[in-house]
Amino acid sequence: MLTKKPPALQSFLSLVSRHSSHLVRQQYDVIVVGGGHAGTEAAAAAARVGAETLLVSQKIETIGALSCNPSLGGVGKGQLVKEVDALDGLCGRAGDWAGIHFSILNRRKGPAVWGPRAQLDRQRYREFIQSELLSTPRLTVLEGSVEELFVSEPNPEEPGHHRVTGIRLANGSHPISASSVVLTTGTFLSGSLFMGQSKSPGGRIGDAPSSAGLSHTLRERLGLRTGRLRTGTPPRIVKDSVDLSLANVHPPDSHPTPFSFLNTHTHCKPEEQLPCYLTYTTPGVERVVRESLHLNCHIQEDAKGPRYCPSIESRVLRFPGRRHQVWLEPEGVTSDILYPQGLSMTMPPDVQLRLIREIPAMHRAEIHTPGYGVQYDFVCPTQLSPALQVKSTQGLFLAGQINGTTGYEEAAAQGLWAGVNAARCALSRPTVALSRTESYIGVLIDDLVSRGVTEPYRMFTSRAEFRTSLRPDNADLRLTLKGFEEVGCVSIVRYQEAVRVRDSLQDALATLQALALSTQNWRKKLPDMRMSEVKNSLLTGMDVLRYNDVSFEMLASAFPECLSHHMEFSQRLKIEAVYRPHCNLQKKEIERIQKEENMSLPQDINYLTLPVSLSHEVREILDRVRPTTLGAATRLQGMTPAAIIHLFNYVRRTGQKERRSHRNKPDQREERKSL
Amino acid sequence: MYFQVGLADAETIFALSSGHGRCGVAVVRASGPASSTALRCMTRLTRNLPPPRKALLRSITDPQSKEVLDRGLVFWFPAPHSFTGEDSVEFHIHGGPAVITAVLHALGSVPGMRPAEAGEFTRRAFQAGKLGLTEVEGLGDLIHAETEAQRRQALRQMSGDLGRLYQDWSHKLKRCLAHVEAFIDFSEDELIEDGVLNQVDTWVCDLQAEIERHLQDERRGERLRTGVQVVIAGAANAGKSSLLNTLCQRPAAIVSPIAGTTRDIVETALDIGGFPVLLSDTAGLRESPDLVEREGVRRARERVDQADLTLVVVDCAHLPSDAEQAATFLEGHLRSVLSPQEQSLLVLNKTDLLPEEQRLELDWELRRVSGLPPVCHISCHTNEGLQDFLAVLHRSVKTLCGDPLSCAPTLTQARHRAHLQQCFAALAQYQRYRDIDLALAAEGVRLALTSLGRITGHVGAEEILDIIFKDFCIGK
Repeated sequence: MLTKKPPALQSFLSLVSRHSSHLVRQQYDVIVVGGGHAGTEAAAAAARVGAETLLVSQKIETIGALSCNPSLGGVGKGQLVKEVDALDGLCGRAGDWAGIHFSILNRRKGPAVWGPRAQLDRQRYREFIQSELLSTPRLTVLEGSVEELFVSEPNPEEPGHHRVTGIRLANGSHPISASSVVLTTGTFLSGSLFMGQSKSPGGRIGDAPSSAGLSHTLRERLGLRTGRLRTGTPPRIVKDSVDLSLANVHPPDSHPTPFSFLNTHTHCKPEEQLPCYLTYTTPGVERVVRESLHLNCHIQEDAKGPRYCPSIESRVLRFPGRRHQVWLEPEGVTSDILYPQGLSMTMPPDVQLRLIREIPAMHRAEIHTPGYGVQYDFVCPTQLSPALQVKSTQGLFLAGQINGTTGYEEAAAQGLWAGVNAARCALSRPTVALSRTESYIGVLIDDLVSRGVTEPYRMFTSRAEFRTSLRPDNADLRLTLKGFEEVGCVSIVRYQEAVRVRDSLQDALATLQALALSTQNWRKKLPDMRMSEVKNSLLTGMDVLRYNDVSFEMLASAFPECLSHHMEFSQRLKIEAVYRPHCNLQKKEIERIQKEENMSLPQDINYLTLPVSLSHEVREILDRVRPTTLGAATRLQGMTPAAIIHLFNYVRRTGQKERRSHRNKPDQREERKSL
Repeated sequence: MYFQVGLADAETIFALSSGHGRCGVAVVRASGPASSTALRCMTRLTRNLPPPRKALLRSITDPQSKEVLDRGLVFWFPAPHSFTGEDSVEFHIHGGPAVITAVLHALGSVPGMRPAEAGEFTRRAFQAGKLGLTEVEGLGDLIHAETEAQRRQALRQMSGDLGRLYQDWSHKLKRCLAHVEAFIDFSEDELIEDGVLNQVDTWVCDLQAEIERHLQDERRGERLRTGVQVVIAGAANAGKSSLLNTLCQRPAAIVSPIAGTTRDIVETALDIGGFPVLLSDTAGLRESPDLVEREGVRRARERVDQADLTLVVVDCAHLPSDAEQAATFLEGHLRSVLSPQEQSLLVLNKTDLLPEEQRLELDWELRRVSGLPPVCHISCHTNEGLQDFLAVLHRSVKTLCGDPLSCAPTLTQARHRAHLQQCFAALAQYQRYRDIDLALAAEGVRLALTSLGRITGHVGAEEILDIIFKDFCIGK
């Protein structure tokens, strides 16, 4: 089954504009600023949790736009998409709807690091997201530019120095108030666009720059530390002008695998998928880069760019004399544009044309839109809590590139989690955190808030210590159940499906475990299997399924009466059998970390004067980062085991004292502690 | 599966629990679920465990070789009535290093057993709620002391050949992991070819062979310096070498009135009141244009960092005559030689050159200054004050020997051995899964690095990513 088809774009836009003129109220639970991957997930998640939500975007037609590459997922990123989907987010289903070329990367490297990925049709993706938002109850969309945040005195019973109470729009309309505001401004915060020697304010070409008022409020009024990062996008190429016979065809998987746990197939039929093309740079490309350096002010600036998605300029400068890959990717079923992945560049347009024509397949190519660079402010994410709330400011949440990350998937994951917590806050429910032991989203957020960023942060599977447990195949079991039972962001339909899957898998695994035979008997049952004779010991079905040349299908045909009805999960069962012993080994370490993470550190501790034996160095680290849990404190650089014990002891002691005496409202304290 | 993992067995830890130095009886303790197995197979108690908390005299045998290692008392403490709240056993054995090493080695060969980390018994007791609030107060300090001792020991070893070897392995493993991770995270759309993995195969194979050789022939490794490390340090010409010669009652070091006579470390092994001490004389700490002497001063500072106890020698004749000023001078001098928390004795040499009255005044003044180490007046020339100094030194050494970590090379060797064995096994996991499941193969390299990291220090994900970006042109 595939989730519902979006209505036509035309009717949708008219509905939204009606919203903006008549239905906008003056008071919401949650306001989300920005309509990119973070903003749309945040708004949808907040509404799912039950908050009256307003999404404000500069241009309604760009909501759900793919500003850069027309693709979703990949190694590490695909895991994030699966997790966002498991929490009932949008991007997985949108990818299944808009995908025109599906492939699972790393197919030969082990299911824990498989990277589900798809090329997308830009227009279909946008349509799906917009129609989803439209059909989400409690969610209103409004076109407008946010001029400023309203900041007031904090609620004295909660930690924080300020409180955000709402927004004012640029067109001078009335203020709109809200309990929580989620900022997902992407590259628009003090953004500048670079092309050749020209520099202009803005976050994306063709869109108005966001107001200076917002960054002023964040920096001056709220005192947030910010940094500057850069990124870039390649020129788009006119498809008909490219000689694709000179490039290598790269076909998709013959059976597309959907991202979403709710979908059994993708919208695009297998045979309708489009190929990608692979080609390479030439020495001529390097020559053009070197000759035009003086015309290229973006790369002369010293803002930090990503090491893993560098511009063609920095690639040839750092690794000269090599050929570099250039992927030519389709932009959509009916699109006449190709996206040259790997050719992000910021030189003047005429030089860009000269450069791409140095590549044989593009020797007569025409540029549809030139590439450009962007520099933008980000807020140092160590100032956020694991709920993605600004620690010093009640009611303010940040998600996406504003936190120093790069990539659609990273933005979507943060957006969802910020939206969930913004809504929970507004509805006076305690905030929730995801652990790095249970999800890539947890790894992402923990890395951001406890270590900060020095370059745009992208997810890699190697960042997850417990990669073999956090697999794409089991994201539903890790997150959907919790998402419904504890978080409240998952629909009952999805929950029931996850329960069914869990019960079936448990049943099948128990059956496999109970199936115990001698090696001789296994050999009779499975004559194709190479199994060495082990003295009289019995092997279970689980043991046998672990063998490299044994599939669940083989077992099911050998024991049809007890296994054939589990064929639906044959792949998951095989993966489970192989990984289970390794996951069991990891479990102890996971439990230790979780125990430490369940121990929250009060946010109002004065570490500099705390009457506990801590070195000055450790005090300063703690004061700067203000970790929210003991687990986060443990991972700080420069912490000592002794300091952790002292902190642990202090927190336990003060916890006991508080239970006896009272400060503030005792009931509220209790609630916070119970987190 | 994520939602349904069976209870993983907690690890069982063991360690020498009694102090080092000369002792009649040594106590080796184990705690955790495999304790009873260890007790059974090392005492050949096939049927019943001994009655709880009662002494039982048994032969203690190596479970693998069946060789009798010692005859001693064993105790069985079933959970929860033990120090840690877990099943525990104690072996009271003879105190010789050979017996202790053999028993620790044998325990390490029992499945599920591993050497304890610093403070781990106490931490487990803490987690089981076995410690009262006042005892908990001291826990942080205890762990601090233990980790300090471990740090010093690690420093000692890391500056030697063995340290270089482990660092080299760690470096190679980081490279291996970075290359496997690069292949996993980037190879599909980047120019990372399968050749990368072939390179890793070779490295892993070589490393395994090296570690295996090392494990089979541990005596070829660097001789660990045993005993309490006592270092003599101070300004040039304060009489450090004279103190060494006086203590070992022979002219081990050249002494002369010329400042800067000692340029390298002079080591000598001593017996102070029955405790093994390794005494080192170092170059006088001063700025010198002479390259050789500068190197000597660098080595001296390094040795002070690794010391369990530093004797800071000061020439009395160079002290300001005003007692108050002299005390301030000494405080500053100590700070320039040592970092604040290191253990030391302040030795005021050439006391025969100081008028009696001035000495008393200085003593009185020094007593008023808090935070100073014990002060001894001696004269290496007349041997005046030597007996008192030896008594103070003896006390300090004795306290240090009560700390089993500060001077127990056998314990460290056992730990290293266990970690190296884990490292070796983890590399085998890489080879087993190399062609089947690269995620599990990488997990093997990761585990190997973690095991080795327990000897050489922690390695984080960022470090691996740094290597990836240095070695490969990543970009799409």
